[in-house]
Amino acid sequence: MLDTFIAGLLRGNVYALGAVGISLIFGVMNVVNFAQFSFFGLGGMLAWFFVAQEGMPFWLALPLTLIICAGLGLIINIAVVRPLAKYLPLAAMLSTYAVSQILDNTSQATFGAQDRVFPQVLATSNLHIGAMRFGTSDVVMLGVTTVVMVTMSLFIKYSKVGHGIRATSQDQEAALQVGIPVGRVQNISFVIASALGGLAGVFFALYVGIADPSAGLNTGTVAFVAATLGGLGSLVGAVIGGFILGILEAFGIYFLGGASDQIIVFAILIIVLIVRPGGLLGKVPLISTEPLTGTFLGKGRPFRIPWWVWPAAFVVVGVVIPLLGNTDVLTAGTQVLIYAIIAAGFTVTAGQAGVIALGQAGPVAIGAYASALLTLYVHFPFWVALPVAGIVAAVIASVLASPIWGVKGHYISIATLGLGIAIVAIIQLVEPQGLYNIPVPHWFGTALSTPVDYYLIDFGVLVLTLLVMWRLRRSHLGKVISSVGSDETAALASGVRGRNYKALAFAISAFFAGIGGSLLAAQYTYIDTTVFTTLMSILVVTIVIMGGINLPYGAVIGSIILIGALELLRFTDDLRVIVYGVVLILVVRFRPGGILVKNS
Amino acid sequence: MKRLSRPAVIAAVAAITVVSLAAFSGTATAAAPAAKSAKKSTLYFGVSAAETGPYAQYGTQFQEAFTLAADQVNAKGGVNGHPVALKYQDSQSDPKQSVTVAQDFVNDPSIKLVFGDYSSAASIPASPIYTAGKLLQYGFNNSNPDFTALGSKYQWSTSVTTNESYTWTADYIKKQGVKSVGVTYLNTSDWGIPAYQAFKAEAKKVGLKITDAESVDPTSDDFRPSLIKATAGKPQAFVHIGYGPDAAEIVTQLRSVGYKGTFYGGQDVAAFDTTPAAAGSIEGAEFLPSSPAPLVKSFVKAFTKKYPKAGPVTGFEAGAYDALNVAVAAAKIGGTTRAGILKGFAKVKNVPSVVYGKITFDTKTRLPAAPQLTPTVLKNNEWVVYTK
Repeated sequence: MLDTFIAGLLRGNVYALGAVGISLIFGVMNVVNFAQFSFFGLGGMLAWFFVAQEGMPFWLALPLTLIICAGLGLIINIAVVRPLAKYLPLAAMLSTYAVSQILDNTSQATFGAQDRVFPQVLATSNLHIGAMRFGTSDVVMLGVTTVVMVTMSLFIKYSKVGHGIRATSQDQEAALQVGIPVGRVQNISFVIASALGGLAGVFFALYVGIADPSAGLNTGTVAFVAATLGGLGSLVGAVIGGFILGILEAFGIYFLGGASDQIIVFAILIIVLIVRPGGLLGKVPLISTEPLTGTFLGKGRPFRIPWWVWPAAFVVVGVVIPLLGNTDVLTAGTQVLIYAIIAAGFTVTAGQAGVIALGQAGPVAIGAYASALLTLYVHFPFWVALPVAGIVAAVIASVLASPIWGVKGHYISIATLGLGIAIVAIIQLVEPQGLYNIPVPHWFGTALSTPVDYYLIDFGVLVLTLLVMWRLRRSHLGKVISSVGSDETAALASGVRGRNYKALAFAISAFFAGIGGSLLAAQYTYIDTTVFTTLMSILVVTIVIMGGINLPYGAVIGSIILIGALELLRFTDDLRVIVYGVVLILVVRFRPGGILVKNS
Repeated sequence: MKRLSRPAVIAAVAAITVVSLAAFSGTATAAAPAAKSAKKSTLYFGVSAAETGPYAQYGTQFQEAFTLAADQVNAKGGVNGHPVALKYQDSQSDPKQSVTVAQDFVNDPSIKLVFGDYSSAASIPASPIYTAGKLLQYGFNNSNPDFTALGSKYQWSTSVTTNESYTWTADYIKKQGVKSVGVTYLNTSDWGIPAYQAFKAEAKKVGLKITDAESVDPTSDDFRPSLIKATAGKPQAFVHIGYGPDAAEIVTQLRSVGYKGTFYGGQDVAAFDTTPAAAGSIEGAEFLPSSPAPLVKSFVKAFTKKYPKAGPVTGFEAGAYDALNVAVAAAKIGGTTRAGILKGFAKVKNVPSVVYGKITFDTKTRLPAAPQLTPTVLKNNEWVVYTK
């Protein structure tokens, strides 16, 4: 037991360092900085590079690594985050995801994609308590964390800049008004947070023995949950949260096995958000400042679409392309169509109910697995499995999400992100083997499995989806849901219980996500959980933002541009992901209301 | 004249773009020149592998080996006069992309065989496409037995399957006089879990006790809690069923939780070979770069000469090198058409191989008949034959 506790303590140490950085930035800018996660991986790789490749002593390499991380952090803040955070915190958050992708890929391009043996700059197993060995490096790590924490607490409590940070976290506008250089405060926070992230990365690499370029996202996500546990914005809370989470994780893995790792982490996240959204030491503001979502709605009136566009689009997309397109275009087209279906359904939650749910990959996965299992083992025909999968996804997702709707503002997005990941992790636990040989759709005996077949099936489903969306918006129910999104307080005053309608909207979106998943399963004929990533969730949200958050047909355009562009960019080899990240940032920067909306 | 509204323009532009893309790509593929000159036409093999993404390093290793083998083949006159060349497509070893790549290759008439993908998870979903397109899919690196077992006559592999590998490992450990083992294995559906099942079944058969088996998350880097549990029953030896980089982390952390027994695991990759705690690890190897066999020696020599900056030669390069030679041998027998190459695979006999010495296929399983493994131990950052 003591061994596991010590292991948890050392794990928690890394999380604590990372969580402090995340909490710091959130407090000061209201932005969850995904780019922070990249510094975990980058810190390890840079230190490895300086010590193992360039032959520097560790005591020179470490500060150099920290300086580079800090510098990068500063650039990221000035170039990307601050301009967006001023108007649209959610957009800033999404763009930090794009930045993290860019950082990761640049790191891979520079240092290579392999794991590197991390040089034993400090002894790693020369000490022991009982049978559990640990080393000088672990003691140094604990010591450094303590020193850093104490320094930071004193800094924040007593220095002028520290006061500035506290003031900015409490109320940005008020701080500006009393003359605090908020911009400089935010820059400094970014610098500190990035350096801490790099430091955590170095110690983590030392602890596990390997500099893993992809360690960032994993460790980063857990550090983020630790920060939430401690209370986003509270630095002491972040440290406590980090250690608690490390220890809980260690014991969880000991008793329940390694596969349950992610579920434990996200169960903790969701429990925290429901029971005490402010975390252990944070404070949730009584009056929710403008929720993340309010920044997209009401951003201008959508353009009026002349009547002839609809039949013209139908002909082009539904007839011309299948006739003329070659396999490349058709296969890309099916991806575009499926994402369009998922995204169009998602506009009910994001646009009408005003909830930016960040975990759509979860319901998509449920739909895909449900459809696959039904056609594979119960021998349902595909046409029956398709709607059933949608219903299953809607029901399961709603049940799992039901405790969340009471949570306010930012935290709903975070909770749904966690929920999406947790759903996929649960599926992995229940059905770790992928599903092979998923039957393709049959029409009166003929197998439909060529690209043209899939394209036409997907197109048909998309048309039906858009029709349903159109009818829904014009119906009484649709208007009630929209009222919740436009002004929840007014709706409540009129007797509309926001919670219930948000849940309903989420269920409707989950239905369409499940249908999208079913189409995916039938097309790939093989699925496992690696298909349903956080990137998929974020792609859906980005498509919807690009097309206009309240416009289902905008989701189609968004899907054509983003997914179509991704397929087109296949030809640009290594730069592909980097270019995609840059495109995302530009879109979010210059057209936040969506491209089909008149900029007001 | 009524001014066209914005969305109409956007939609029109999008439509025109999409349509011209479709038409343009259509003509581009059709315009691929079929060189009919006095020279014999090139024999193209497709390669579906990762050029970018988390598995990019393996794609590079394959490419280096393929290029070396192809150069050697062409220097000797190619396949009955036809020069051999490779067309690469980036799948990132991702099942979603490998399917698209497969469709591309199937529709390209110049491609007569496809190598790939790196992982079974990417190869298996693409198999129905290759089967429907009657194009041979040579998953030379795919060790999941399902690749050939659930595949059609178009799926072939020269990789030792996980079943064979871990059955051998369980037998070997028992033969060493070890009575109990602790196990960790990757919780992946395409590799770790079936491999563990094979190990478990054989261990039961030969009476090797598994004190505890922990599944671990392959994306994790810290395995200490799992290792503390796995070694709690004081097993005599420890087995890790996974890949090189995670084995490096496991063996390092295994030692730091105080476990001293022999470690059976690891892989011949730089990340593992140079890990200090990994010294003394034992595993059954297919390809041994230090082998005295003349074919292996000349291969290693030629490879290090051509790629002085690349890392040490591993089983990945060796497998790809062999694969190209097998494909060439098949083409020489059956002809340079898709159907001919398929026939050739069933007929090749004793193709010289740096991994197995000689390759002949068992035409029922489409795997090498009777592959042999050698016990090896990691000494001075190098795997050498282990004799006890």
